[in-house]
Amino acid sequence: METTGSKLAVKHLRKSFQSQRSEASIQVFEDISFEVHPSEFISIVGPSGCGKTTFLRILDGLIPHDDGDILLDGKSVIKPGPDKGFVFQESSLLPWRTVMDNVILGLELQGVASGEARKKAERYIALVGLAGFEQHYPHELSGGMQQRVNLARALIVDPQVLLMDEPFASLDAQTREIMQAELLKMWNQTKKTVIFVTHQIEEAIFLSDRVVVFSARPARIREIVKVDISRPRSLSVKRSKEFLELADQVWNIIQEEVLKSMGREREEGVL
Amino acid sequence: MKSVAKRDPLIPAWLRSSRVIGAYSVIAGLAIWQLAYQGLTWTHYFKAYAINHFLSSPLQVIQSFGELYQSGELLRHSYFSLLEFVYGFLLAIGVGILVGFIMATSKKINYYLDPWVSCLYATPLVALAPVIMVWFGLGIFPNSLVVFLGAVFPILLNTYTGIKSVRENLIDVVRAFGGSPSQVFFKVMIPDATPTIITGIRLAVGRAVISVVVAELFGAEAGLGFMVYFYSQRFLPGPVFVAIVVLVVFGILSFLALEKIQGWLSPWYAYRLRREAHGMELE
Repeated sequence: METTGSKLAVKHLRKSFQSQRSEASIQVFEDISFEVHPSEFISIVGPSGCGKTTFLRILDGLIPHDDGDILLDGKSVIKPGPDKGFVFQESSLLPWRTVMDNVILGLELQGVASGEARKKAERYIALVGLAGFEQHYPHELSGGMQQRVNLARALIVDPQVLLMDEPFASLDAQTREIMQAELLKMWNQTKKTVIFVTHQIEEAIFLSDRVVVFSARPARIREIVKVDISRPRSLSVKRSKEFLELADQVWNIIQEEVLKSMGREREEGVL
Repeated sequence: MKSVAKRDPLIPAWLRSSRVIGAYSVIAGLAIWQLAYQGLTWTHYFKAYAINHFLSSPLQVIQSFGELYQSGELLRHSYFSLLEFVYGFLLAIGVGILVGFIMATSKKINYYLDPWVSCLYATPLVALAPVIMVWFGLGIFPNSLVVFLGAVFPILLNTYTGIKSVRENLIDVVRAFGGSPSQVFFKVMIPDATPTIITGIRLAVGRAVISVVVAELFGAEAGLGFMVYFYSQRFLPGPVFVAIVVLVVFGILSFLALEKIQGWLSPWYAYRLRREAHGMELE
Protein backbone atom coordinates (compact mmCIF):
# COMPACT_ATOMS: atom_id res chain seq x y z
CA MET A 1 0.00 0.00 0.00
CA GLU A 2 1.22 3.48 -0.79
CA THR A 3 1.68 5.49 2.39
CA THR A 4 2.97 8.82 1.19
CA GLY A 5 1.02 11.71 2.62
CA SER A 6 0.13 9.87 5.81
CA LYS A 7 1.82 10.60 9.10
CA LEU A 8 0.85 7.40 10.78
CA ALA A 9 -0.32 4.21 9.12
CA VAL A 10 -1.71 1.22 10.95
CA LYS A 11 -1.81 -1.90 8.80
CA HIS A 12 -3.61 -5.13 9.58
CA LEU A 13 -2.84 -4.87 13.28
CA ARG A 14 -3.62 -7.94 15.35
CA LYS A 15 -3.24 -8.57 19.05
CA SER A 16 -4.30 -11.31 21.41
CA PHE A 17 -3.64 -11.85 25.10
CA GLN A 18 -3.12 -15.08 26.94
CA SER A 19 -6.00 -15.48 29.36
CA GLN A 20 -4.83 -15.78 32.95
CA ARG A 21 -7.48 -18.27 33.92
CA SER A 22 -7.52 -20.63 30.95
CA GLU A 23 -5.23 -21.74 28.15
CA ALA A 24 -7.32 -19.85 25.63
CA SER A 25 -6.01 -16.66 24.13
CA ILE A 26 -8.28 -13.66 23.94
CA GLN A 27 -8.41 -11.84 20.64
CA VAL A 28 -8.25 -8.09 21.29
CA PHE A 29 -7.98 -6.71 17.75
CA GLU A 30 -8.42 -8.37 14.46
CA ASP A 31 -7.16 -6.60 11.43
CA ILE A 32 -7.15 -2.90 12.23
CA SER A 33 -6.03 -0.58 9.46
CA PHE A 34 -6.24 3.16 9.06
CA GLU A 35 -4.16 6.16 8.16
CA VAL A 36 -3.68 9.49 9.84
CA HIS A 37 -2.69 12.65 7.95
CA PRO A 38 -0.15 15.11 9.28
CA SER A 39 -1.63 17.52 11.85
CA GLU A 40 -4.84 15.57 11.94
CA PHE A 41 -6.80 15.16 15.15
CA ILE A 42 -8.22 11.65 15.41
CA SER A 43 -10.33 10.29 18.24
CA ILE A 44 -10.98 6.66 19.01
CA VAL A 45 -14.25 5.74 20.68
CA GLY A 46 -15.89 2.39 21.29
CA PRO A 47 -17.80 0.33 23.79
CA SER A 48 -16.17 -0.05 27.23
CA GLY A 49 -13.55 -2.75 27.36
CA CYS A 50 -13.02 -2.87 23.60
CA GLY A 51 -9.28 -2.28 23.99
CA LYS A 52 -8.92 1.40 23.14
CA THR A 53 -6.22 1.96 25.74
CA THR A 54 -4.40 -1.21 24.72
CA PHE A 55 -4.48 0.00 21.14
CA LEU A 56 -2.90 3.32 22.11
CA ARG A 57 -0.20 1.56 24.11
CA ILE A 58 0.59 -0.60 21.12
CA LEU A 59 0.87 2.51 18.94
CA ASP A 60 3.40 3.88 21.43
CA GLY A 61 5.32 0.60 21.50
CA LEU A 62 4.73 0.05 25.23
CA ILE A 63 3.03 -3.27 24.39
CA PRO A 64 4.17 -5.43 21.47
CA HIS A 65 1.65 -6.43 18.77
CA ASP A 66 1.32 -9.86 17.21
CA ASP A 67 0.90 -9.10 13.57
CA GLY A 68 0.65 -6.21 11.17
CA ASP A 69 2.61 -2.99 11.10
CA ILE A 70 2.58 0.52 12.53
CA LEU A 71 4.39 3.08 10.41
CA LEU A 72 5.24 6.50 11.80
CA ASP A 73 6.72 8.65 9.02
CA GLY A 74 7.29 5.43 7.11
CA LYS A 75 9.28 3.78 9.91
CA SER A 76 8.05 0.80 11.90
CA VAL A 77 7.21 1.47 15.54
CA ILE A 78 8.82 -1.21 17.70
CA LYS A 79 9.49 0.57 20.97
CA PRO A 80 8.56 3.76 22.84
CA GLY A 81 10.62 6.84 22.14
CA PRO A 82 10.64 10.62 21.92
CA ASP A 83 9.04 10.54 18.47
CA LYS A 84 5.79 9.80 20.30
CA GLY A 85 4.37 11.79 23.18
CA PHE A 86 2.04 9.95 25.54
CA VAL A 87 -0.47 11.72 27.75
CA PHE A 88 -1.60 9.29 30.40
CA GLN A 89 -4.78 9.08 32.41
CA GLU A 90 -4.86 10.69 35.84
CA SER A 91 -2.10 10.61 38.45
CA SER A 92 0.80 9.73 36.21
CA LEU A 93 3.03 12.56 37.36
CA LEU A 94 6.05 11.55 39.41
CA PRO A 95 4.98 12.72 42.88
CA TRP A 96 8.55 13.40 44.07
CA ARG A 97 9.20 15.84 41.24
CA THR A 98 8.07 19.44 40.94
CA VAL A 99 6.08 20.61 37.92
CA MET A 100 9.34 21.74 36.33
CA ASP A 101 11.10 18.43 36.96
CA ASN A 102 8.12 16.47 35.68
CA VAL A 103 8.01 18.46 32.47
CA ILE A 104 11.71 18.03 31.69
CA LEU A 105 11.53 14.25 32.23
CA GLY A 106 11.51 13.34 28.54
CA LEU A 107 14.45 15.64 27.76
CA GLU A 108 16.35 14.42 30.81
CA LEU A 109 15.95 10.80 29.66
CA GLN A 110 17.42 11.81 26.30
CA GLY A 111 20.40 13.38 28.05
CA VAL A 112 19.60 17.02 27.22
CA ALA A 113 21.56 19.44 29.45
CA SER A 114 19.56 20.56 32.46
CA GLY A 115 19.81 24.31 31.81
CA GLU A 116 18.62 23.96 28.25
CA ALA A 117 15.81 21.60 29.27
CA ARG A 118 14.60 24.02 31.93
CA LYS A 119 14.55 26.94 29.56
CA LYS A 120 12.47 24.94 27.11
CA ALA A 121 10.22 23.68 29.89
CA GLU A 122 9.39 27.23 30.94
CA ARG A 123 7.95 27.82 27.48
CA TYR A 124 5.80 24.69 27.60
CA ILE A 125 4.63 25.30 31.15
CA ALA A 126 3.51 28.75 29.98
CA LEU A 127 1.85 27.19 26.93
CA VAL A 128 -0.38 25.03 29.13
CA GLY A 129 -1.14 28.03 31.33
CA LEU A 130 0.85 27.06 34.42
CA ALA A 131 3.48 29.80 34.53
CA GLY A 132 4.31 30.49 38.18
CA PHE A 133 3.65 26.90 39.27
CA GLU A 134 7.07 25.52 38.25
CA GLN A 135 8.16 24.68 41.79
CA HIS A 136 4.85 23.15 42.96
CA TYR A 137 4.50 19.45 43.61
CA PRO A 138 1.72 17.48 41.86
CA HIS A 139 -0.24 17.02 45.08
CA GLU A 140 -0.46 20.78 45.41
CA LEU A 141 -2.29 21.04 42.07
CA SER A 142 -5.90 20.38 41.09
CA GLY A 143 -6.77 17.52 38.75
CA GLY A 144 -7.08 19.86 35.77
CA MET A 145 -3.70 21.46 36.48
CA GLN A 146 -2.08 18.04 36.80
CA GLN A 147 -3.32 17.09 33.37
CA ARG A 148 -1.90 20.34 31.98
CA VAL A 149 1.49 19.30 33.32
CA ASN A 150 0.93 15.88 31.77
CA LEU A 151 0.33 17.57 28.44
CA ALA A 152 3.37 19.83 28.71
CA ARG A 153 5.48 16.80 29.55
CA ALA A 154 4.36 15.09 26.35
CA LEU A 155 4.70 18.18 24.13
CA ILE A 156 8.22 19.20 25.24
CA VAL A 157 9.90 16.27 23.49
CA ASP A 158 8.41 17.67 20.26
CA PRO A 159 6.86 14.36 19.25
CA GLN A 160 5.74 13.46 15.74
CA VAL A 161 2.47 12.22 17.15
CA LEU A 162 0.68 12.88 20.42
CA LEU A 163 -1.09 9.88 21.95
CA MET A 164 -3.68 10.81 24.55
CA ASP A 165 -5.31 8.18 26.74
CA GLU A 166 -8.55 9.53 28.24
CA PRO A 167 -6.66 12.47 29.72
CA PHE A 168 -9.77 14.28 30.94
CA ALA A 169 -11.74 11.26 32.18
CA SER A 170 -11.31 11.99 35.87
CA LEU A 171 -12.02 15.71 35.68
CA ASP A 172 -15.32 17.28 36.63
CA ALA A 173 -17.60 18.33 33.78
CA GLN A 174 -16.73 22.03 33.85
CA THR A 175 -12.99 21.53 34.01
CA ARG A 176 -13.21 18.95 31.25
CA GLU A 177 -14.92 21.38 28.88
CA ILE A 178 -12.37 24.07 29.59
CA MET A 179 -9.53 21.62 29.02
CA GLN A 180 -11.06 20.52 25.72
CA ALA A 181 -11.15 24.10 24.47
CA GLU A 182 -7.59 24.70 25.71
CA LEU A 183 -6.38 21.54 24.04
CA LEU A 184 -7.75 22.70 20.69
CA LYS A 185 -6.01 26.04 21.15
CA MET A 186 -2.69 24.32 21.86
CA TRP A 187 -3.20 21.91 19.00
CA ASN A 188 -3.75 24.89 16.74
CA GLN A 189 -0.47 26.40 17.92
CA THR A 190 1.64 23.26 17.71
CA LYS A 191 -0.03 21.51 14.76
CA LYS A 192 0.70 18.08 16.19
CA THR A 193 -0.86 14.91 14.90
CA VAL A 194 -3.07 13.65 17.71
CA ILE A 195 -4.65 10.28 18.49
CA PHE A 196 -7.10 10.80 21.33
CA VAL A 197 -8.79 7.91 23.11
CA THR A 198 -11.97 8.68 25.01
CA HIS A 199 -15.26 7.12 26.01
CA GLN A 200 -17.05 10.43 25.65
CA ILE A 201 -18.67 10.78 22.26
CA GLU A 202 -19.22 14.51 22.37
CA GLU A 203 -15.63 15.07 23.48
CA ALA A 204 -14.43 13.03 20.50
CA ILE A 205 -16.57 14.95 18.02
CA PHE A 206 -15.75 18.35 19.45
CA LEU A 207 -12.00 17.78 19.20
CA SER A 208 -11.55 15.70 16.09
CA ASP A 209 -11.29 15.82 12.36
CA ARG A 210 -12.32 12.17 12.23
CA VAL A 211 -13.74 9.82 14.87
CA VAL A 212 -12.74 6.17 14.61
CA VAL A 213 -15.43 3.94 16.11
CA PHE A 214 -14.25 0.56 17.38
CA SER A 215 -16.52 -2.44 17.55
CA ALA A 216 -16.95 -4.58 20.65
CA ARG A 217 -14.19 -7.10 21.32
CA PRO A 218 -12.51 -8.46 19.29
CA ALA A 219 -12.23 -4.90 18.06
CA ARG A 220 -12.42 -3.94 14.41
CA ILE A 221 -12.97 -0.51 12.97
CA ARG A 222 -16.73 -0.26 12.77
CA GLU A 223 -16.78 3.11 11.10
CA ILE A 224 -14.75 6.25 10.60
CA VAL A 225 -16.93 9.33 11.04
CA LYS A 226 -15.74 12.53 9.42
CA VAL A 227 -16.45 15.66 11.45
CA ASP A 228 -17.17 18.48 9.01
CA ILE A 229 -17.49 21.27 11.51
CA SER A 230 -15.43 24.32 10.70
CA ARG A 231 -12.55 25.34 12.92
CA PRO A 232 -11.75 27.08 15.16
CA ARG A 233 -14.57 25.60 17.21
CA SER A 234 -15.94 27.13 20.36
CA LEU A 235 -17.76 25.22 23.08
CA SER A 236 -21.10 26.53 21.80
CA VAL A 237 -20.71 24.35 18.72
CA LYS A 238 -21.75 21.44 20.92
CA ARG A 239 -25.33 22.70 20.78
CA SER A 240 -25.45 23.03 16.99
CA LYS A 241 -27.66 20.76 14.91
CA GLU A 242 -24.86 19.16 12.90
CA PHE A 243 -22.95 18.39 16.09
CA LEU A 244 -25.93 16.68 17.71
CA GLU A 245 -26.62 14.68 14.55
CA LEU A 246 -23.04 13.43 14.49
CA ALA A 247 -23.22 12.54 18.19
CA ASP A 248 -26.43 10.59 17.51
CA GLN A 249 -24.84 8.77 14.63
CA VAL A 250 -21.80 7.69 16.69
CA TRP A 251 -23.92 6.83 19.70
CA ASN A 252 -26.18 4.58 17.59
CA ILE A 253 -23.20 2.62 16.30
CA ILE A 254 -21.80 2.15 19.79
CA GLN A 255 -25.19 1.17 21.18
CA GLU A 256 -25.51 -1.50 18.50
CA GLU A 257 -22.06 -2.80 19.41
CA VAL A 258 -22.81 -2.87 23.11
CA LEU A 259 -26.06 -4.77 22.54
CA LYS A 260 -24.32 -7.19 20.21
CA SER A 261 -21.60 -7.94 22.76
CA MET A 262 -24.18 -8.35 25.52
CA GLY A 263 -26.08 -10.81 23.32
CA ARG A 264 -22.91 -12.74 22.66
CA GLU A 265 -22.01 -12.84 26.34
CA ARG A 266 -25.49 -14.10 27.14
CA GLU A 267 -25.04 -16.89 24.60
CA GLU A 268 -21.67 -17.74 26.11
CA GLY A 269 -23.22 -17.75 29.53
CA VAL A 270 -21.19 -14.86 30.86
CA LEU A 271 -24.28 -12.82 31.73
CA MET B 1 -29.07 23.01 71.43
CA LYS B 2 -26.74 25.59 72.87
CA SER B 3 -23.28 25.96 71.44
CA VAL B 4 -20.73 23.74 73.10
CA ALA B 5 -16.94 23.43 73.27
CA LYS B 6 -16.15 27.08 73.71
CA ARG B 7 -12.39 27.58 73.70
CA ASP B 8 -10.97 28.71 77.01
CA PRO B 9 -9.21 31.98 76.20
CA LEU B 10 -7.20 31.84 79.45
CA ILE B 11 -4.96 29.05 78.13
CA PRO B 12 -3.04 30.10 75.01
CA ALA B 13 -3.01 27.74 72.03
CA TRP B 14 0.64 26.70 72.30
CA LEU B 15 0.03 25.39 75.82
CA ARG B 16 -2.66 23.11 74.43
CA SER B 17 -0.41 21.57 71.72
CA SER B 18 0.17 17.82 71.82
CA ARG B 19 3.86 18.25 72.67
CA VAL B 20 3.27 20.46 75.64
CA ILE B 21 0.57 18.13 76.95
CA GLY B 22 2.98 15.20 76.48
CA ALA B 23 5.63 17.09 78.46
CA TYR B 24 3.12 17.74 81.28
CA SER B 25 2.36 14.04 81.36
CA VAL B 26 6.02 13.04 81.72
CA ILE B 27 6.70 15.68 84.37
CA ALA B 28 3.62 14.57 86.32
CA GLY B 29 4.75 10.92 86.12
CA LEU B 30 8.21 11.80 87.41
CA ALA B 31 6.71 13.87 90.24
CA ILE B 32 4.48 11.00 91.33
CA TRP B 33 7.48 8.68 91.27
CA GLN B 34 9.53 11.12 93.36
CA LEU B 35 6.70 11.62 95.90
CA ALA B 36 6.02 7.91 96.20
CA TYR B 37 9.71 7.26 96.86
CA GLN B 38 9.81 10.08 99.38
CA GLY B 39 6.75 8.62 101.09
CA LEU B 40 8.43 5.22 101.32
CA THR B 41 11.52 6.66 103.03
CA TRP B 42 9.31 7.78 105.93
CA THR B 43 8.01 4.26 106.60
CA HIS B 44 9.87 1.69 108.64
CA TYR B 45 9.87 -0.70 105.65
CA PHE B 46 12.48 1.45 103.95
CA LYS B 47 15.28 0.56 106.34
CA ALA B 48 13.98 -2.88 107.19
CA TYR B 49 14.06 -4.07 103.61
CA ALA B 50 16.93 -1.87 102.38
CA ILE B 51 14.68 -0.47 99.70
CA ASN B 52 17.30 1.95 98.46
CA HIS B 53 19.06 -1.08 96.98
CA PHE B 54 16.08 -1.87 94.79
CA LEU B 55 14.41 1.44 94.03
CA SER B 56 15.62 4.83 93.05
CA SER B 57 14.02 8.22 92.61
CA PRO B 58 14.31 10.71 89.74
CA LEU B 59 16.44 13.02 91.89
CA GLN B 60 18.80 10.20 92.77
CA VAL B 61 19.07 9.22 89.11
CA ILE B 62 20.01 12.78 88.27
CA GLN B 63 22.59 12.72 91.03
CA SER B 64 24.04 9.43 89.77
CA PHE B 65 24.10 10.87 86.29
CA GLY B 66 26.18 13.79 87.52
CA GLU B 67 28.67 11.53 89.32
CA LEU B 68 29.02 9.07 86.45
CA TYR B 69 29.43 11.92 84.00
CA GLN B 70 32.07 13.63 86.14
CA SER B 71 34.11 10.47 86.52
CA GLY B 72 33.99 9.85 82.75
CA GLU B 73 32.50 6.42 83.29
CA LEU B 74 29.21 7.23 81.57
CA LEU B 75 30.93 8.62 78.49
CA ARG B 76 33.21 5.58 78.23
CA HIS B 77 30.26 3.18 78.35
CA SER B 78 28.16 5.31 76.00
CA TYR B 79 31.02 5.51 73.53
CA PHE B 80 31.42 1.74 73.53
CA SER B 81 27.71 1.18 72.96
CA LEU B 82 27.54 3.88 70.31
CA LEU B 83 30.32 2.22 68.34
CA GLU B 84 28.51 -1.12 68.43
CA PHE B 85 25.31 0.59 67.37
CA VAL B 86 26.90 2.53 64.51
CA TYR B 87 28.88 -0.41 63.11
CA GLY B 88 26.01 -2.87 63.35
CA PHE B 89 23.37 -0.42 62.14
CA LEU B 90 25.35 0.84 59.14
CA LEU B 91 26.12 -2.71 58.11
CA ALA B 92 22.43 -3.57 58.49
CA ILE B 93 21.42 -0.63 56.28
CA GLY B 94 23.94 -1.59 53.59
CA VAL B 95 23.22 -5.31 53.57
CA GLY B 96 19.47 -4.92 54.13
CA ILE B 97 18.97 -2.55 51.21
CA LEU B 98 21.27 -4.53 48.90
CA VAL B 99 19.77 -7.94 49.62
CA GLY B 100 16.24 -6.50 49.63
CA PHE B 101 16.85 -5.03 46.17
CA ILE B 102 18.27 -8.27 44.85
CA MET B 103 15.40 -10.35 46.24
CA ALA B 104 12.83 -7.94 44.82
CA THR B 105 14.36 -7.88 41.36
CA SER B 106 15.35 -11.53 40.90
CA LYS B 107 12.68 -14.16 41.39
CA LYS B 108 15.21 -16.98 41.33
CA ILE B 109 17.45 -15.55 44.03
CA ASN B 110 14.34 -14.75 46.04
CA TYR B 111 13.35 -18.43 45.97
CA TYR B 112 16.75 -19.38 47.45
CA LEU B 113 16.99 -16.63 50.04
CA ASP B 114 13.41 -16.34 51.23
CA PRO B 115 13.42 -19.37 53.59
CA TRP B 116 16.68 -18.21 55.18
CA VAL B 117 15.39 -14.72 55.72
CA SER B 118 12.14 -16.07 57.21
CA CYS B 119 13.99 -18.43 59.56
CA LEU B 120 16.54 -15.88 60.72
CA TYR B 121 13.88 -13.22 61.18
CA ALA B 122 11.88 -15.59 63.37
CA THR B 123 14.90 -16.62 65.44
CA PRO B 124 14.90 -14.91 68.85
CA LEU B 125 17.95 -12.70 68.99
CA VAL B 126 18.31 -13.45 72.69
CA ALA B 127 18.96 -17.08 71.77
CA LEU B 128 21.46 -16.18 69.08
CA ALA B 129 23.55 -13.69 71.03
CA PRO B 130 25.28 -16.19 73.37
CA VAL B 131 26.22 -18.37 70.40
CA ILE B 132 27.88 -15.42 68.72
CA MET B 133 29.77 -14.69 71.96
CA VAL B 134 30.99 -18.25 72.04
CA TRP B 135 32.20 -18.04 68.46
CA PHE B 136 33.73 -14.58 68.45
CA GLY B 137 34.45 -13.81 72.08
CA LEU B 138 33.91 -10.47 73.77
CA GLY B 139 34.36 -7.07 72.18
CA ILE B 140 32.96 -4.58 69.77
CA PHE B 141 32.93 -6.86 66.73
CA PRO B 142 30.72 -9.69 68.02
CA ASN B 143 28.39 -7.18 69.66
CA SER B 144 28.07 -5.23 66.41
CA LEU B 145 27.20 -8.51 64.74
CA VAL B 146 24.31 -8.97 67.16
CA VAL B 147 23.15 -5.41 66.43
CA PHE B 148 23.40 -6.15 62.72
CA LEU B 149 21.26 -9.29 63.06
CA GLY B 150 18.71 -7.39 65.09
CA ALA B 151 18.40 -4.48 62.68
CA VAL B 152 18.85 -5.99 59.23
CA PHE B 153 15.49 -7.69 58.71
CA PRO B 154 13.07 -4.77 58.97
CA ILE B 155 15.28 -2.92 56.49
CA LEU B 156 15.57 -5.89 54.15
CA LEU B 157 11.86 -6.69 54.18
CA ASN B 158 10.80 -3.06 53.74
CA THR B 159 13.21 -2.62 50.85
CA TYR B 160 11.74 -5.73 49.26
CA THR B 161 8.17 -4.49 49.76
CA GLY B 162 9.09 -0.99 48.62
CA ILE B 163 10.56 -2.18 45.33
CA LYS B 164 7.77 -4.71 44.77
CA SER B 165 5.05 -2.11 45.23
CA VAL B 166 6.48 0.52 42.89
CA ARG B 167 3.53 1.81 40.88
CA GLU B 168 3.34 0.24 37.43
CA ASN B 169 1.86 3.35 35.82
CA LEU B 170 4.86 5.45 36.86
CA ILE B 171 7.23 2.89 35.35
CA ASP B 172 5.20 3.12 32.14
CA VAL B 173 5.66 6.89 32.10
CA VAL B 174 9.45 6.61 32.01
CA ARG B 175 9.28 3.76 29.49
CA ALA B 176 6.91 5.74 27.27
CA PHE B 177 9.47 8.53 27.00
CA GLY B 178 12.10 6.04 25.92
CA GLY B 179 13.69 5.47 29.36
CA SER B 180 16.13 2.55 29.61
CA PRO B 181 15.78 -0.14 32.30
CA SER B 182 18.48 1.57 34.38
CA GLN B 183 16.67 4.91 34.05
CA VAL B 184 13.46 3.21 35.18
CA PHE B 185 15.40 1.90 38.17
CA PHE B 186 16.99 5.17 39.22
CA LYS B 187 14.23 7.59 38.27
CA VAL B 188 11.18 5.62 39.41
CA MET B 189 11.92 2.55 41.48
CA ILE B 190 14.39 4.11 43.91
CA PRO B 191 12.46 7.33 44.58
CA ASP B 192 9.14 5.49 44.88
CA ALA B 193 10.60 2.89 47.26
CA THR B 194 12.62 5.37 49.36
CA PRO B 195 9.92 6.22 51.94
CA THR B 196 9.16 2.54 52.53
CA ILE B 197 12.87 1.78 52.95
CA ILE B 198 13.28 4.61 55.45
CA THR B 199 10.25 3.33 57.37
CA GLY B 200 12.13 0.01 57.62
CA ILE B 201 15.21 1.81 58.90
CA ARG B 202 13.07 3.59 61.49
CA LEU B 203 11.66 0.29 62.69
CA ALA B 204 15.19 -1.07 62.85
CA VAL B 205 16.43 1.68 65.18
CA GLY B 206 14.44 0.32 68.12
CA ARG B 207 15.56 -3.22 67.44
CA ALA B 208 19.18 -2.09 67.16
CA VAL B 209 19.06 -0.38 70.56
CA ILE B 210 17.59 -3.54 72.11
CA SER B 211 20.31 -5.59 70.41
CA VAL B 212 23.05 -3.41 71.90
CA VAL B 213 21.74 -4.17 75.38
CA VAL B 214 21.17 -7.87 74.70
CA ALA B 215 24.69 -8.28 73.36
CA GLU B 216 26.24 -6.49 76.32
CA LEU B 217 24.18 -8.39 78.87
CA PHE B 218 25.65 -11.63 77.59
CA GLY B 219 29.19 -10.53 77.45
CA ALA B 220 31.00 -7.24 77.42
CA GLU B 221 33.57 -5.30 79.34
CA ALA B 222 31.92 -1.96 78.77
CA GLY B 223 28.79 -0.40 77.37
CA LEU B 224 25.43 0.78 78.63
CA GLY B 225 24.01 -2.75 78.69
CA PHE B 226 27.05 -3.80 80.65
CA MET B 227 26.38 -0.92 83.07
CA VAL B 228 22.84 -2.23 83.62
CA TYR B 229 24.19 -5.69 84.33
CA PHE B 230 27.11 -4.57 86.48
CA TYR B 231 25.22 -2.18 88.78
CA SER B 232 22.14 -4.33 89.20
CA GLN B 233 24.41 -7.13 90.39
CA ARG B 234 25.68 -4.70 93.03
CA PHE B 235 22.20 -3.48 94.04
CA LEU B 236 22.83 0.07 92.90
CA PRO B 237 19.64 1.09 91.07
CA GLY B 238 20.75 4.71 90.39
CA PRO B 239 23.39 3.96 87.73
CA VAL B 240 21.15 1.27 86.23
CA PHE B 241 18.45 3.86 85.58
CA VAL B 242 21.02 6.31 84.25
CA ALA B 243 22.01 3.77 81.59
CA ILE B 244 18.38 3.04 80.76
CA VAL B 245 17.53 6.72 80.41
CA VAL B 246 20.50 7.31 78.10
CA LEU B 247 19.34 4.37 75.92
CA VAL B 248 15.77 5.67 75.80
CA VAL B 249 16.82 9.20 74.89
CA PHE B 250 19.18 7.88 72.23
CA GLY B 251 16.44 5.67 70.74
CA ILE B 252 13.91 8.49 70.62
CA LEU B 253 16.37 10.97 69.10
CA SER B 254 17.42 8.57 66.33
CA PHE B 255 13.80 7.77 65.55
CA LEU B 256 12.91 11.47 65.30
CA ALA B 257 16.01 12.21 63.23
CA LEU B 258 14.99 9.53 60.72
CA GLU B 259 11.48 10.92 60.60
CA LYS B 260 13.00 14.30 59.68
CA ILE B 261 15.18 12.67 57.03
CA GLN B 262 12.14 10.93 55.59
CA GLY B 263 10.20 14.18 55.40
CA TRP B 264 13.18 15.86 53.80
CA LEU B 265 13.86 13.12 51.22
CA SER B 266 10.24 12.44 50.31
CA PRO B 267 8.07 15.44 51.12
CA TRP B 268 5.31 14.00 48.91
CA TYR B 269 5.05 10.85 51.02
CA ALA B 270 3.25 12.40 53.98
CA TYR B 271 0.58 13.53 51.55
CA ARG B 272 0.24 10.03 50.10
CA LEU B 273 -0.08 8.51 53.56
CA ARG B 274 -2.73 11.03 54.49
CA ARG B 275 -4.63 10.28 51.31
CA GLU B 276 -4.49 6.53 51.84
CA ALA B 277 -5.54 6.91 55.45
CA HIS B 278 -8.63 8.81 54.38
CA GLY B 279 -9.25 6.52 51.43
CA MET B 280 -9.32 9.50 49.14
CA GLU B 281 -8.74 9.51 45.43
CA LEU B 282 -6.03 11.71 44.01
CA GLU B 283 -7.87 14.75 42.80
